[in-house]
Amino acid sequence: MRRKLLFTLIATVFISIAAMAGNLIAGNKPSLGLDLQGGASVTLEPKGNYDTAALDVAVEIIRARVDSIGVAEPEIIRQGSTVVINLPGVKDQQRALEIVGRTGEVLLRPVLQSGFKNTDATTTTVAGQTTLPGATSSTLAGASTTVAGATTTVAASTTSQPASSGGLGSSRRPMSAATTTTTPVVIPTTEAPSTTLGSSEVVATTTTVAVAVPPSTPQQDISMTNEPSKQAILEGRDGRVYFTGPSQADGQVFANDAAAQINNGSWVVAVGLRSGASGEAKWNALAAQCFQKAATCPSGQIAIVLDGVVISAPVVQTANFSGSVQISGDFKEAEAKDLAKILEFGAVPVRFDSPTAQTVSATLGKDSLNAALISGLVGVLLVLLFLFFYYRRLAIVVVGGLAISGMLQWSAISWLSQRNGLALSLSGITGIIVSIGVTVDSYVVFFEKLKDDVLGGKTLRNSASRSFDAAWRTIVAADTVSLIGAVVLWFLTVGSVRGFAFFLGLSTFCDILVAFFFTRPTVILMARSKWMNGANMFGVHARHKDEGIEVSAGSSTEGVVAR
Amino acid sequence: MSGRWGRLYNGETTIDFVGRRWWGFIASGIVVVATLFSLLFQGLNLGIDFEGGVAWEAPLKNELTIDSATKILEDNNIETRSAKIQTLGGGSSERIRIQADDQSAEVRSAVQKSLSEKAKVEVAEVSVSSVSSSWGRSITIKAIRALLVFFLLVSLYIAWRFEWKMAIAAILAMVHDVVISVGVYSLLGFEVTPATVIAFLTILGFSLYDTIVVFDKVHDNTGRFGASRVSYDDIVNVSMNQVLMRSLNTSFAAILPVLSLLVLGAGVFGAVALQEFSLALFVGLLTGAYSSIFIATPLLAIFKSREPKFRALIGQRSLKADMTTLMRTGSSVSRKQSARIGTDGVGSTTTPIDAVTAVLSHPPRPRKKTRR
Repeated sequence: MRRKLLFTLIATVFISIAAMAGNLIAGNKPSLGLDLQGGASVTLEPKGNYDTAALDVAVEIIRARVDSIGVAEPEIIRQGSTVVINLPGVKDQQRALEIVGRTGEVLLRPVLQSGFKNTDATTTTVAGQTTLPGATSSTLAGASTTVAGATTTVAASTTSQPASSGGLGSSRRPMSAATTTTTPVVIPTTEAPSTTLGSSEVVATTTTVAVAVPPSTPQQDISMTNEPSKQAILEGRDGRVYFTGPSQADGQVFANDAAAQINNGSWVVAVGLRSGASGEAKWNALAAQCFQKAATCPSGQIAIVLDGVVISAPVVQTANFSGSVQISGDFKEAEAKDLAKILEFGAVPVRFDSPTAQTVSATLGKDSLNAALISGLVGVLLVLLFLFFYYRRLAIVVVGGLAISGMLQWSAISWLSQRNGLALSLSGITGIIVSIGVTVDSYVVFFEKLKDDVLGGKTLRNSASRSFDAAWRTIVAADTVSLIGAVVLWFLTVGSVRGFAFFLGLSTFCDILVAFFFTRPTVILMARSKWMNGANMFGVHARHKDEGIEVSAGSSTEGVVAR
Repeated sequence: MSGRWGRLYNGETTIDFVGRRWWGFIASGIVVVATLFSLLFQGLNLGIDFEGGVAWEAPLKNELTIDSATKILEDNNIETRSAKIQTLGGGSSERIRIQADDQSAEVRSAVQKSLSEKAKVEVAEVSVSSVSSSWGRSITIKAIRALLVFFLLVSLYIAWRFEWKMAIAAILAMVHDVVISVGVYSLLGFEVTPATVIAFLTILGFSLYDTIVVFDKVHDNTGRFGASRVSYDDIVNVSMNQVLMRSLNTSFAAILPVLSLLVLGAGVFGAVALQEFSLALFVGLLTGAYSSIFIATPLLAIFKSREPKFRALIGQRSLKADMTTLMRTGSSVSRKQSARIGTDGVGSTTTPIDAVTAVLSHPPRPRKKTRR
């Protein structure tokens, strides 16, 4: 028992120090937010005709993407007619442009092949390999080739053709007969044959996909970015990786009327096609290739790509569409609405001129940061002094616990600053300082319980372990609520609320870890030592002894040892 | 360590929280009503992040610096505290970007003119434009939706872990805290920034956390007293007195850093940004600590006392020495005994005879052991 506790304690301390040292050696350190350190500011100027509603949609879509890349708190505003995106902690202007990306372009690309990324973090494989264009398909015979595509299908409204009712493309027709149900998804097992292909090693980091293309493929045509005229390997929102052909149409083939609706009890997205050569004809040209599974579109899928991300890749069900398109599948309500919004945005896009990036200075600056740090430190010292006054030697545990928790949090923040662009704003820093005061609670709960037991006449040695069990239940109950809050806010919000959720989750998580892996073993071990038991630990005395037997002790309490 | 503090320190206070619940309810009621009136008639002073405003951009050269720009804003009676002044670099030349609350057309052009004079450039080279809020409507909607989901999940969790009446009491207490914190902002006319929203969220979390620790004790004691006829008021009173020291300690420990930020950071170092944030937290932490004691648990006592099991015992409260006995032995003293003890009054100077009888009448030790 004792050895186990000692081992836990040493392991915890060791891991915390190692985590901190690792980050120090790697040179990771927390980066600061817009208000404290500034960052990069990207200005997007719309060109051509647009309306403000479309600009608002553009802002939403930009926010969604910038938010999705990390936990930083970007600032996105419309300044006059331009959109200004301030990215905290980004020093490199080129990098800022990459993050913001080319915006607002919806492209339609034929899917050549698709597959899943392996869960393995560093190397991923495009599986379900079929043919890379130019490569002989015979070499791929071993691989399972069925990619029956995404869960979405496209059905045309080819049946009802009373052209009199307002002309082609102008009305949304009833989509009864031709509406097909969702094709079953056939997903080949991805792990097995991928290495034999030689072509399938895809190294994926968080944002970029690199593919080792076999020599036989026309390498110059493959683009890692979303270059419209080239083939591109793009990540899908569904977690798949898509190898797509050159873009053959853009979002403007659709009319500005995309809507999510319920059809036969499931969510579908219906959108009209613009009439004429730039609308229906263009779409049908692409759809025909895919329907026939021609060489340019062997999978039969059309990828709807927004800013380099495949939003949906429906399988085409007919060669000829007239008037409108319906995308059905296993959509949830939110997904369908999202897709509708994107199609709508693609239809009336705001095109932005080549964006400009500048560095932007801090709004508050280092003075505020120093003020926060110094006064925060003083505050924490006051807390510790108070605890020493109150819990005497036991407060050493709090100092140790705070140190461990501090190292863990520092490591996590530094690491995420480097990896995910996390940036600490002033409110984030003060939030962390305040959370120290709050997490002291878990020690207080434990120590008060301990005090209670000692007052009740137990020895410290006996009560330490048992008190922890009782306190632990309380701590877990209270922390669970905080964790629920952190998780809900993290997944459902954006911007600085999301940043708050992150820090709340981090500090709560550290609190739980430290309570179990540090506070518990330390206090139990201390309770066994002579040093603790020989001292006036709390200034408490066994209650029953006092009042039941040594009646007078009630008033002369100082210095009575709990035994 | 004797006297009042000694009792507090040893968790031996016998304060009748439930009996005084109306004090808390009336005090809170007054503040909440004042808050609602203030919100209704005065509203909140929303910052540029929520309402948008105006932005000037000018070349940063000649006599135009951040300081002189600040001066220009002050001369035009623009609140500089909420203005954001940034320099933009990396392009061909440095520029300055100033964002402030929305201003009239005259002020806009006056500032534009002053800026151009300082920078010694044509007026046209200083741009003026409206800025939208960075905290758009969609962020608010998402945040509110997330909060509702959070309330629901937390209620379910508390209902599962403890009981649903506790969930209602906890949520009510938390709403009380947030309303009061927001009310202070409205009453004092402080500007609401994203940092303020974060402060409110922190308050919300703290309030729930604090309440749950108290409820955990009540829950524990409900089990402990389950077999004997003890009114729910008594259970709550005993629990409150037992965790009082914990509550005070925790609140004190949480408030110390905030106080330091407020006094030292904002006061001595003059970091204005810290002031409002820490003030919101200060108010929130105080109400959070207060509400877990004076709102959440008394509410719970009201809800629970109506249950059949406790209904017969409504109004029965063991006070002072009785409460001490209850706390120690885990059962209420008999009526007769209680009458006798009740007469000799003060809890601290429990006479040895009483204590001994109490101990003898119901030895608590084996019970306690099996329970813990």
